[in-house]
Amino acid sequence: MGSNTPPSRAALEPFATLDPAALAGLPASSPLTVRSAAISSPYLYLGTGGGKLLLFTLDSPSPDFLRLLPIGPTRPVSAILPLPAVARLLLLADGLLLLADPLLSRPVRRLGSVRNVAAVAARASESDDDRPSCSLAVSVGKKLLLVDLTLHDADELEVRTRDIALVDGVKALAWVGDSVFVGTASGYSLFSTTNAQGGDIFTLPESSRPPRVKPLSGGDEVMLLVDNVGVVVDRSGHPVGSSFVFNTTPDCIAEVYPYVVVAGDSKVDVYRRKNGAHLQAIPFARPGTGGLIVASEDAGIGSDVVVIATAYKVFCYRKVSAVEQIKALLRRKSYAEAISLLQEFEADGEISNDMISFVHAQLGFLLFFDLRFEDAVNHFLLSETMQPAEIFPFIMRDPNRWSDLVPRKRYWGLHAPPKPLEEVIDDGLVTLQQALFLKKAGVDTVVDDDFLSNPPSRADLLEVAIRNIIRYLCASREKDLSSSEMEGVDTLLMYLYRALNLVDDMEKLASSQNSCVVEELESLLDDSGHLRTLAFLYGSKGMCSKSLGIWRILARNYSTGLWKDHAILPETDSLETSVGKMSGEEIAAVEASKILQASSDQDLVLEHLGWVADIDQELATAILTSEMREKQLSPEKVVAAIDPEKVGIHQRYLQWLIEEQECDEPHYHTSYALSLSRSAMDAVRLGSNNEERNNKEFDSDMQFIYLLRERLQFFLQSSDLYDPEEVLYVISESELWLEKAILYRKMGQENIVLQILALKLEDSEAAEQYCAEIGRDDAYIQLLDLYLDPKNGKGPMFTAAVRLLHNHGESLDPIQVLERLSADMPLQLASDTILRMLRARVHHHRQGQVVHNLSRATNLDARLTRLEERSRHVQLTDESICDSCRARLGTKLFVMYPDDSVVCYRCYRNQGDSASPHGRNFRKGGIFKQSWLVSR
Amino acid sequence: MAANPGNKIRNAKLVLLGDVGTGKSSLVLRFVKGQFVEFQESTIGAAFFSQTLAVNDETVKFEIWDTAGQERYHSLAPMYYRGAAAAIVVYDITNAASFTRAKKWVQELQAQGNPNTIMALAGNKADMVEARQVPAEEAKTYAQENGLFFMETSAKTAINVNDVFHEIAKRLLQGQQAQDTPAGMVLNQRPAERMVSSSSCCS
Repeated sequence: MGSNTPPSRAALEPFATLDPAALAGLPASSPLTVRSAAISSPYLYLGTGGGKLLLFTLDSPSPDFLRLLPIGPTRPVSAILPLPAVARLLLLADGLLLLADPLLSRPVRRLGSVRNVAAVAARASESDDDRPSCSLAVSVGKKLLLVDLTLHDADELEVRTRDIALVDGVKALAWVGDSVFVGTASGYSLFSTTNAQGGDIFTLPESSRPPRVKPLSGGDEVMLLVDNVGVVVDRSGHPVGSSFVFNTTPDCIAEVYPYVVVAGDSKVDVYRRKNGAHLQAIPFARPGTGGLIVASEDAGIGSDVVVIATAYKVFCYRKVSAVEQIKALLRRKSYAEAISLLQEFEADGEISNDMISFVHAQLGFLLFFDLRFEDAVNHFLLSETMQPAEIFPFIMRDPNRWSDLVPRKRYWGLHAPPKPLEEVIDDGLVTLQQALFLKKAGVDTVVDDDFLSNPPSRADLLEVAIRNIIRYLCASREKDLSSSEMEGVDTLLMYLYRALNLVDDMEKLASSQNSCVVEELESLLDDSGHLRTLAFLYGSKGMCSKSLGIWRILARNYSTGLWKDHAILPETDSLETSVGKMSGEEIAAVEASKILQASSDQDLVLEHLGWVADIDQELATAILTSEMREKQLSPEKVVAAIDPEKVGIHQRYLQWLIEEQECDEPHYHTSYALSLSRSAMDAVRLGSNNEERNNKEFDSDMQFIYLLRERLQFFLQSSDLYDPEEVLYVISESELWLEKAILYRKMGQENIVLQILALKLEDSEAAEQYCAEIGRDDAYIQLLDLYLDPKNGKGPMFTAAVRLLHNHGESLDPIQVLERLSADMPLQLASDTILRMLRARVHHHRQGQVVHNLSRATNLDARLTRLEERSRHVQLTDESICDSCRARLGTKLFVMYPDDSVVCYRCYRNQGDSASPHGRNFRKGGIFKQSWLVSR
Repeated sequence: MAANPGNKIRNAKLVLLGDVGTGKSSLVLRFVKGQFVEFQESTIGAAFFSQTLAVNDETVKFEIWDTAGQERYHSLAPMYYRGAAAAIVVYDITNAASFTRAKKWVQELQAQGNPNTIMALAGNKADMVEARQVPAEEAKTYAQENGLFFMETSAKTAINVNDVFHEIAKRLLQGQQAQDTPAGMVLNQRPAERMVSSSSCCS
């Protein structure tokens, strides 16, 4: 497959032109025509139609003629094969094979006796033999010969010849690996040099051009020609990759990796080896006789010289490196082609990653100076080696804080040094004007056609440039940069945001973690009125005092209507929390509280607490109770600083101090209790004074009072550190009876507590619960007394008293109960309960009697059993022995265990009375004997 | 389509043969790159493509040779179909002569190619039903008689394009399994022999 794009590149560049006849000093009367050429670094060999061999050197800046060697006037040199392995040059002249030395210092010598040689090829790969040697494939008549040349000492050459095949009409040969490729008029075949086996590759269609065979890729592949099509096969004859399609029918082929150079009628074409793309066409005047010859070094892939010969001239070309090709395109401002070429080289691996980055950066700068800022930045972003500091000069004029940081890279010298953006644009616009003028005058320029047809304004260009540099700097923030370079990136980024008045971006950058240098920005931001950004910046840099100062000013200005921040919108995302629409004043307070919540500077916090509290008490509370600060504030100073009128802040702070910080300072517990108490009293008083409001408000107030009192009660119950007397003094005149009860309870005033619970609150259940808490039975008597004699003009509470007797009657002494019942007690109310109480007492007494008598019976039975046990008899004989020591008992003192084992007294003393010789342990398991009361 | 890293990848040489202008290159471009070019230049020599296909739990990597259809390059075809695992013979349903040419390719493949080559007959340009010259039934019958599987395809509309390659991949993998079966058969012979030996011992 060939490329349809007309070739526009210089993959090869000429570096010398030779006139062989003139250089050899031959007179004009004897013409010299080039028939063949070969390169074996550093030498160039030319063979002429008149039987001469010329030697040139390619080492010096231009080739030098060295020597001429005549071979024979009637022997045109049709092929030259350098054989560096054996230090020889092989010539094919008029059907004969001749050998010459590489420097042409000796006459040529004939190789063997073969004649009528049709084709010859040298083995492409290096030999593995110990001795320097090489091999040739030679076609003679119908024979295919292999000729092995071995170099011996004293420059002696050994020649061995063997036949491997019979092939007729051979026109082309190539030897790669162990295969000899043969081209005949009918087609291509392959012969193995190891086993002489052959095989066809393909046949040529009728009326084809003569076959041509060319090794490629340093001897790994072979190209076989069919008309203008090149089929590439591997060493085994299998096809590799797509076919080459040449513009003309090739007469001669050479390879300068990665290019294939093809000579056809009157021109030479250069193709890329990998994809067959047509890269370059080199025209030549049509020669009078013969065709063009191209030659390159066959040995390896590393060579970069190709020679193109006409009959009378020789042109030397050098491979242009990938970098040079790209550079040439950039020099012409052919950016699209340069990018395409870069991608091509990148895909082929011909260019290093560092160079790719270099080219992208160079492209970026060129496009930048051509005012194509978006494309420029796209290439900057593709460059991995480019440093952000390289574009600093576009943003801030030298000298500045980062001037020394800017690397002085000159790249390829294709663009001016970076300078301030405004100057770049002004110069670019001047160039644009000149191009417009020239275009009207009919002169073409390299300026972008879009610009010519639609010239942008200076302001538009400036904005586009700044936006794209912003894009680059934002991407640079993700890189690992030195701290000073990161400072430059962030500071200049803020600088550019400010230039376009991108307030949201400014505030986002300032409020997040950044490396901006405050000294470079604070006066600028102050002058342009970006106070919020400046406040955020101070905050992110830990300059809390300055930041808070600005927020305070902003809050004051908002509240007085002096400041209207148009950037504050409900949709803005610069605020972390957006609960509806906050006023500017509130936003300032929110931002200030964020700083204060993290600050351990006590004086700073207390200094700004007041104005934040004036705006939003919740924020003030959040500041005081923040867990984010490393060192908590001094409660003493905080309490002193809180405005006494702002009760909510005071209470919330004390609550946090006590509950979360587990402060055990009695003073604060008392303060908290007093504050809650006053709030509760105020709420109750307020609620009772507005009874005429509608039910909805009333319910809401009741709920509020309920929750407030609940909190107070909870605290009074759970804390043991406040002064109950002090609190009691405050609420003594109020109706907070339950709270009073809790306080008296803390003080141990049991009777007063009972009075409040039983008489004031009439909560019998709570009163009885309290009696149970007290834990003494006389507490219930005490409560009963209160029920029966409330005093203060209150009548006896018989119902409650009866309930008490009912629930806890068995704990009470009936005599005491009856003593306390007054003559006024209506007995019909309590008669059932009293009767049940008295019956319970009788029942208890009689039950006790039963238990007593049963115990006496058991005791009697045990005594009887013991007597019977002690009355048992045992018969001893002269043969009776101790069950433990087996000694004869005789007249000894002995002991008998309950299990009838008998031991002498000494053994009994040793083993005790708990275990018998039979292994029984009476302490663990006793023996039950049958008796008349207790049975097993 | 990505191949599973742990699975084995099987390489398969696949060649497309057929008359000039039947759409061989368009079929390959549709399969490999999902593209269709209305005015495709004639292929000269051969073009090479590579594409991986996942079938069940296995992966087949096709090395695809898109050959030139001109008669002048007929002699190059053996180099491309020699040793091929599969061949797709393409004809144009709107061109009866291309079907005749396709039959000759089938004959050449069967005469000179690898007997194990999986052969597919593809009737391309199936979207141009108004201009049809080759009945599907005729092609189907010919395919069945000669051991090919048949599909009508359209590189333009992508009809059956992936299915052809998918079917080839399936048959390749089935063929691989079929090669393992005879070994099992050999194993089955031994117990019978032992029984015979036992019988000999008894007798």
